[in-house]
Amino acid sequence: MASALLQVAPQAHVEVNAELCKGCDLCVVVCPQQNLRLSDRFNRMGYHPVEFDVHGRKGDCTACGLCYWACPDFAIVSVERRRQ
Amino acid sequence: MIAASAPREAKFGPSSIWTGTPTHYCAGCEHGTLTHLIAKALAERDARERTVMVSSVGCSVFAHEYLDLDSVQAPHGRAPAVMTGIKRAHPELLVFSVQGDGDAASIGLLELLHAANRGEPITIFMVNNAIYGMTGGQMAPTTPVGMVTTTSPEGRSVPQAGYPLDTTKLVASLEGPAYVRRVFFPISPTPAPDFFNARGALEGMQAVRHAFDAQEKGGFAFVEFVSTCSVNWKMSVLDAKRYAAQVLAPLFPSGVLRDRFGLERR
Amino acid sequence: MTAPRQFLKGNEALAYGALHAGLQSFYGYPITPSSEVPETLATQVGRPEYPEFRTFLQAASEVEAINLMLGAAATGEKTMTATSGPGFSLMQEGISYAHGAELPMLIANVNRAGPGLGNLGPEQTDYFAAVKGGGHGGYRNVVLAPDSVPEMASFPSLGFSLAFRYRTPVILLTDAFLGQLKEDLEFPTIESPTFDTPWAATGARGTTRHVLSSMHIELPEQNLVSRHLRDKFAEITRREQRSEELETRGARVVFVAYGICARLAQRAVRVLRDRSVPVGLFRPITLAPFPRDRLRALVDEGVRSFVVVELNTGQMVEDVRLAVDGAAPVRSMNQFGGLLPSYRDLVDEIGALAA
Repeated sequence: MASALLQVAPQAHVEVNAELCKGCDLCVVVCPQQNLRLSDRFNRMGYHPVEFDVHGRKGDCTACGLCYWACPDFAIVSVERRRQ
Repeated sequence: MIAASAPREAKFGPSSIWTGTPTHYCAGCEHGTLTHLIAKALAERDARERTVMVSSVGCSVFAHEYLDLDSVQAPHGRAPAVMTGIKRAHPELLVFSVQGDGDAASIGLLELLHAANRGEPITIFMVNNAIYGMTGGQMAPTTPVGMVTTTSPEGRSVPQAGYPLDTTKLVASLEGPAYVRRVFFPISPTPAPDFFNARGALEGMQAVRHAFDAQEKGGFAFVEFVSTCSVNWKMSVLDAKRYAAQVLAPLFPSGVLRDRFGLERR
Repeated sequence: MTAPRQFLKGNEALAYGALHAGLQSFYGYPITPSSEVPETLATQVGRPEYPEFRTFLQAASEVEAINLMLGAAATGEKTMTATSGPGFSLMQEGISYAHGAELPMLIANVNRAGPGLGNLGPEQTDYFAAVKGGGHGGYRNVVLAPDSVPEMASFPSLGFSLAFRYRTPVILLTDAFLGQLKEDLEFPTIESPTFDTPWAATGARGTTRHVLSSMHIELPEQNLVSRHLRDKFAEITRREQRSEELETRGARVVFVAYGICARLAQRAVRVLRDRSVPVGLFRPITLAPFPRDRLRALVDEGVRSFVVVELNTGQMVEDVRLAVDGAAPVRSMNQFGGLLPSYRDLVDEIGALAA
């Protein structure tokens, strides 16, 4: 039961303010789990903002915060570990 | 729930010192990262009401747009003198500036070295991206030999322009400073393809905190942040990070060159 | 405390006058013939007589000095420097920024001779640099011109009053002669003006923060700021023109002179009046704003011509001509190179006019 819950409810979450993002790629390349990628859409500044996906190519987000430290634009608004 | 939180500042949240204005910095620029770290460090020590920032000239000229602090604009290179005037009038204030390498190491070298030599209790962060960013990519005193800029179109040559200036070493050669450090600030390439480490930002956060600690203990603090300027280097953001790791990191080695108060030992 | 009766150099009187006016910080670089100002102040810092005077710092250059003052002024402190021509040149950058951010400060220029290094004699060649603004971007200084050692003592107080009332740099323009001249004086009673400085940058409070900047990147914003600076100087011009007159009543010819030249002209006027020659003296005290209203009025009162005496090749004469506006002839009488005319030269000049 518990393991089933964990699978549907992620442990951690990164919130991005897409309007502040300049699509510089820094958070994308520092994310150990590869949970971030540049979106195909444009934000108001004309950049492809970054998008968060809990399921990365190497695993789920662990709320390590590296994306937050790497971001030069205040665009990583929060990195939270969520209790289920 | 927030992973870990201070009473006022979230560990991974926007700083209360940030005005909320998006920065004018180019994508991937370390100026933005440093602005973020300073906002965080000042909020941590709840210093907004006792801080005066001096805006320098260069890409950091709009710092007061992003940091919700009292601010005084200095002429190009003169920030250390303006900071000294403020600090001597109000020793209880925390006074700092973000200068570029053109501002601090070229036009303002006299003001920097004399403030350092007197050991003025102020904090200076120098962003060294080895080029003039704001004016569009001219050669700086810190430009590596061979680098092509708009004013060294054949690449910087030693007979013509001399060697890149090591500002941090120069500052550390004086008796006055209490805390002198150089941080390799950009994200750094790792052996894994397309994976970079963010050690520079974490190290930078510690350096910013210690540079303010040193001032509060009555000392002069100077931290150089070796950085990139992808736009004026005419590279992609990530190629600029790779170039910095390859060329600037050996030229401007990281390290703590002065730590009079033993801040790094704690 | 300074004794009431003293024998002081102009530069020393300037230093003590600034202290009595509540000087809080001095930043400067040694340069002849102004160095007695920092030398005097260096002995007084931290003394109980002048509790407000807490900071004395010999800067690494005049460029550093004026920028140290920018910082001090930004906190609302009464700050000053003293220099001479070559140093005044180096300070122009900072003075321009002080105007842009509207920072009050007092800058004494003990004018020496010639362009470049020149020599250490007196001249009034920095009139244009002080009055018209020697730096970039278009601004107008307030410029005060003492003509005696007692005025060297009392003008810093006036300077700080104007500087803080209008949030502007004030130049105290004097010369090598007045700076070095020793005179016997009753040390004047000097007021230490106090002002509220709600604009000062000493830490953000609540929603209020202070941004002191000369940068206005949006064109319409700079337009508004420049309009404000223009209107401010127009108000200063309406309210603060100061001058002094000697024997102008009934005068047909009037000397126009400031500083040490005014002292020479005083003597010439007395000699000529003893000979019943109807001559007077008009002495601008504020070189900027130029006391044009009173000068122009002299024409209506019967003055037929003006002789402008100055230690340069002709600078203030342009402002006199603008003020008189063609209503009377204006002659220029000059000496320079560090040399002074004798009062007899002035007497002879009038003789030549009468002949």
